[in-house]
Amino acid sequence: MSRVSAAKTSVGRRSARGGMSRNAGSDVKAAYLFIAPAMIGFFVFVGYPLVRSFYLALTKYNGLTDPVFVGLGNFRRLFTTDPAFWPALRATGYLVVLYVPLSLILGLALAMFCNQRFAGVRVVRTLAYLPVVLPAIATITLWKFILDPQVGLLNTVLDRLGLPTSLWLQSANTSMPSVVLVMLWGVGATMIIFLAALQSVPTELYEAARVDGAGPWSVFFRITLPMISPIMLLQVILQTTAALQTFNQPKILTNGGPGFSTNVLMLSIYNNGFPTLGRIPQLGYASAQVWVLFVIIIAVIALTAKFSSLWTYSDTSD
Amino acid sequence: MKRTLGVTALACAGLLAATACSGSDSGGGSSSGPVTVTVMTWESAETNAAIKKALADFKDDNITVQLLDTPSGQYGDKLASLTQAKKLPDLFWCGNDTEQQYTSQGLLVDWADKIKDGDGDFKSDNFVSSAMDNWKTADGQMGGLPSLMNTYGVWYNADAFTAAGLPLPKAGWTWDEMYADAAKLANKNGAKYGLVADQLTSPDGPFTMSMYAVSAGGAPFTDNVNHPTKAEADDKYTEGVQKLVAAIKNGSVAPPGYDASNVQSLFAAGKVPMTFGGQWLAAGFQTDKPKVKYGFAPFPQVQTPTTLYDSVGICTPQYTKDQDSTFKVLSYINTKVWDAVLPASPVAPPAYKPAQASYFDALTKAQQSTVADTVKADLGAEKTVGVRFTTQWAQQVGDLTTANYQPILSGKKPVSDLPAYIEKINGLIKQGG
Amino acid sequence: MTLPTEAAEATALTAGTEPATRAPARKKPRLIGTTSWYVVAIFICAVMIVPLLWMITIGLKSRTAVFDIPPKLLPHEWTWSNFVNGPKAIHFPRLFLNSMIITALSVFGGVLTAMMAGYALARLRFPGRKLWFYLFVGSMLLPGVVGLIPLFQLYKSIGWYDTWLPLIVPAFLGGNPLFIFLARQYFLAIPYSIDEAAKIDGAGHLRIFVSVMLPLTRPAWLTMAILAFQASWNDYLNPLVYLYSSGKWPLSVGMAAFVSPFAGKTPDWSYYMATNLLYMLPPLIIFFAAQRYFIQGLGALGSTNQK
Repeated sequence: MSRVSAAKTSVGRRSARGGMSRNAGSDVKAAYLFIAPAMIGFFVFVGYPLVRSFYLALTKYNGLTDPVFVGLGNFRRLFTTDPAFWPALRATGYLVVLYVPLSLILGLALAMFCNQRFAGVRVVRTLAYLPVVLPAIATITLWKFILDPQVGLLNTVLDRLGLPTSLWLQSANTSMPSVVLVMLWGVGATMIIFLAALQSVPTELYEAARVDGAGPWSVFFRITLPMISPIMLLQVILQTTAALQTFNQPKILTNGGPGFSTNVLMLSIYNNGFPTLGRIPQLGYASAQVWVLFVIIIAVIALTAKFSSLWTYSDTSD
Repeated sequence: MKRTLGVTALACAGLLAATACSGSDSGGGSSSGPVTVTVMTWESAETNAAIKKALADFKDDNITVQLLDTPSGQYGDKLASLTQAKKLPDLFWCGNDTEQQYTSQGLLVDWADKIKDGDGDFKSDNFVSSAMDNWKTADGQMGGLPSLMNTYGVWYNADAFTAAGLPLPKAGWTWDEMYADAAKLANKNGAKYGLVADQLTSPDGPFTMSMYAVSAGGAPFTDNVNHPTKAEADDKYTEGVQKLVAAIKNGSVAPPGYDASNVQSLFAAGKVPMTFGGQWLAAGFQTDKPKVKYGFAPFPQVQTPTTLYDSVGICTPQYTKDQDSTFKVLSYINTKVWDAVLPASPVAPPAYKPAQASYFDALTKAQQSTVADTVKADLGAEKTVGVRFTTQWAQQVGDLTTANYQPILSGKKPVSDLPAYIEKINGLIKQGG
Repeated sequence: MTLPTEAAEATALTAGTEPATRAPARKKPRLIGTTSWYVVAIFICAVMIVPLLWMITIGLKSRTAVFDIPPKLLPHEWTWSNFVNGPKAIHFPRLFLNSMIITALSVFGGVLTAMMAGYALARLRFPGRKLWFYLFVGSMLLPGVVGLIPLFQLYKSIGWYDTWLPLIVPAFLGGNPLFIFLARQYFLAIPYSIDEAAKIDGAGHLRIFVSVMLPLTRPAWLTMAILAFQASWNDYLNPLVYLYSSGKWPLSVGMAAFVSPFAGKTPDWSYYMATNLLYMLPPLIIFFAAQRYFIQGLGALGSTNQK
């Protein structure tokens, strides 16, 4: 490893403006060979499903008989008559609003905490990342047990400490916060990316600030935050996209209940597409919901990106 | 589109052996020569082992029976995927609603003629008649045969009742008595609620509530769960809802949203004094050995005994390879397998009446006499109500119930909103035809 | 202008050699700082690990003891047999092998094709380069569920139902756009003079890629490998939907067999938790073994658009 980084430091600066090789003809052929698998994958796993699901969204289709074209009928039902749709949107929005900021703040705090030099910091860092490594199905099932109001660990501990207990997943008021709580247990994923970003902030900057007598808060707001802003933006986008598509946690923990309180859009889509025991699926209707979700994701990302330049292509050498 | 298909075909051919890209299979009809009949259940590993053992005794030179493993926890997802892939096993466990919906899509083999005449004892007269009626579609088809009956009632913790000085629930008790008992049992000895009644508070709740109305001489929630023409909530029905709302409000009955998935274990641990439930819990209690003395009582009544029951069954896809062989195995399961399985695990009374003896014997032997009595009473009850719609738009009714009925129960909406909810259901019925 | 990854690697390398040596100027505040750091550290560790310890105790309890009220933190009697009988109930070795094969193949395919695409996007000049970059990155935003319905029917119509192909082949077709993005970012940080030197030696793109680039980008592909391993090992929905014969299941599906809500069966929580522990071991081991590279590899994300 050290050999590599040494090589990089010695030649890095010189070559950065050198640009890429100019052997154009063979490059084109080689390039397309190199990205061929990913290109095929794009057509099959992105292009085809997108087109197909858009078509299905305009049909009534149960997967057993041929689709029947119904125009915008599915969307009309979604927005006007379906009693589950607006609550699903509200639940999804609530989850995003609750989860994304908390995940970023906790993740960054944890990363800064783990970016200090203390003996044992690696242990903390590893343990904080541990929940991410473990199979989601297993840990979420475990949490369902922990949050059980009668036999769960959490209420037992709170009770012994003389603190108030809660119904957690079983009350419409606390169910979504409880789901978010379980999601936040996996904050290590956010932390580790922030940690990588923090470690790439040049230490000279901090030392210079210290010489200038800057306090910890002003160091944080004037150096740390600006230096990691690109990764912050990336995190906002990744976390928001992921939060909008949350599925495992509500599916296992509550299956959408109580009432519609945790019935997020993804769960609603799944239940329409793969309904409970032996009901006929409504694939056309589910596809219409998928497209609503897709449009929401695109809109949210576009709004985020509008206030930044992250998605401007970085290749300025042409 | 054309291009993507080409690409996949290429990937398929290039990356993998040609066998993986084999064409579709032809189905239906009968064939000669040895056939394999596949069976899929949602039973636990233990019960499956017992079924497998019983199936091993099936003797037919041309037929091999194969029991497929499946993660019972996700049977629904599995079934959905198998249905879409047109790979359903020759015989699979299914509910009444599955049978109704799949038959209406032309997915299942129609056994109506075969079972009507039947050879030997295996004919419709020997089945519980209400089950046979429920399994017939509007045009008289039968996409499967009922196998086991599910009856429902109230499981009670006898110790808790004795400690509170209450008489034990028994046939003929009333709804008012039940709610009064629940109020006295709530918040005692680690029990939070006096009664957990998932059947009343879940999306199937409106149907269960019919019991109150019918028992009081009123009309059920819907006239027919398979081919409904209307839903209604008359005065008696509304009265029943009001009583439940009051009981939820004062904390004696668990509200909608209570997660009932562990209720059986909590009951066994003595922390739920009363719970609505099916007779099948008896089998679980037999292995789990609850620490408390318990019993199983029929549902309460107003004037006449009324109960709730449904049946599960076994269905066959229309593309089964050899209908005759499949039917042979089906009849073997119904006539012989239960006798071997139920003594060890008395899950439910078979719909095929001659096989019921082994179920009741097993219960008596396990000293679960209250269960045997209640199941017998339930099967003999004159007035019964269906547990949920079996129609294609049943899912949408569930959503309407979550949006409109459950908030009434938990007191977030007034009971006077009930007619608006009924009207929406009627709208769906009209639309669904 | 400095390349951000240099700093990242420098700190990542030193992070390994711990003990803090800073000027011991102000001793008292430092001591308070150290103490409070460790208090917080213990709290964090507790939050992360107590649920897992509790899982182990459930795994050790007998079946009905799980529902004792009030719950006991430690088992009354230690049922070690759960760790034998639980795995036995789901044919653990068989499913373990299945999981291993599926995971190994999809990790290999996913990492290889993402590295190839990343190499082309970062270091080769070709028309459509910008477009493809945008398309790949954009497909990160596509909800996975979009594919579920159409792809299921596609696989079914080409006879892939009940085979491992739907779980493996997508990986060989650049299945994870995040990996492509990560690979490209990492490749961008490598000086071009290295390729030029190799080209002068007469090396083609394939040789540059295999013998020059792959060794240089070890943190990147190790990171992807870890992420891909986790994703494939933990994947539950896809195998559940696509695999029909129990002999082909991976462990994730087998685990679900314990939690049966049907036919009056109490879910076997103690078997479940005991087997769970064994199921979790491989991702844990891999993460521990490679975590140093992992943080380094993710550092490439940190350099997103500073170039």
